[in-house]
Amino acid sequence: MSPSTNEPDLRPLADIDQVIHNPTRLMLLSYLYVVERADYVFLKNMSELSWGNLATHLNKLEESGYVEIEKSFKGKKPHSSVNLTPQGREAFRAYKKRMQQVLDDLPD
Amino acid sequence: MSTPISLRETERKVFRAATNDGLTDVLLGCFFLMFVIAPFLSEYWGDFWSAAAFLPFYGLIWLGIHLARKHIIRPRIGSAEFGPSRKARLKSFTVVMLVLNVMAFVLGIFAFLNFADMPLSTYPIVLGVMLLTGFSLGGYFLDWPRLYLYGLLTAIAPLIGEWLWNEGLASHHGYPVVFGVTSGIMILTGLFIFARLLLAHPLPAEEA
Repeated sequence: MSPSTNEPDLRPLADIDQVIHNPTRLMLLSYLYVVERADYVFLKNMSELSWGNLATHLNKLEESGYVEIEKSFKGKKPHSSVNLTPQGREAFRAYKKRMQQVLDDLPD
Repeated sequence: MSTPISLRETERKVFRAATNDGLTDVLLGCFFLMFVIAPFLSEYWGDFWSAAAFLPFYGLIWLGIHLARKHIIRPRIGSAEFGPSRKARLKSFTVVMLVLNVMAFVLGIFAFLNFADMPLSTYPIVLGVMLLTGFSLGGYFLDWPRLYLYGLLTAIAPLIGEWLWNEGLASHHGYPVVFGVTSGIMILTGLFIFARLLLAHPLPAEEA
């Protein structure tokens, strides 16, 4: 049975992208959405995550095709930088739009 | 209480985090040191050479800041490249500042050659307005609120300087006193922000 026109339709919540919906990944994607590229040190400072946590969440985003990670060396030290892929940018926009739709429909 | 999430505010926060290291304040403060020292040098070297003598000094300060950013700041806070909207904003700021500098240069030539036969009291007012405009535009385009304060300080400095000079309380139109205070405030603010940043961000362990 479909909901009446006056009731909020919550069915789109079932289609929410679970990769993005995780709070930590959502935070990382928000930072990456507003820049072209950022390195791990910058993201670590902004997010206040540990190296391990940061790497785990970024790897998950990379597996989903949402970010690209470029690993290199600066002198003898490893240096990684990340950017949002066009697919990631589009997925983030879609997530934002869907959440706005659902939350705007809910009564206060 | 939670803070509302806004991507625009996030972008501002990210931009400030990447650029607000205090070193630009030090550079600006050092620039205004010219107004403090050049009046004394001009008695021996003339107006042009006393100002030109500062170019190597600025070069050294700029180089020092560049190296500090590369070897001290970036390893601690990392780096980010900004998106198209911020790049467009920075480009607009560059163009506006270029126009303002050309206007200031033309005004300087007018003052030097006294083409327009304007009364001398006009120049501090025009200089003040241009400094206020430049700093206010910087505050707006760069999202650094303290630049508005610097704008006010540098705008009233020539006027107070003239008053001190007219009252016989300071030499050289009062510039060494008023711009000494102004550049001191900028340099100390910059050093405070720089020191706070170093304390808040020790060198991180290597990436996992």
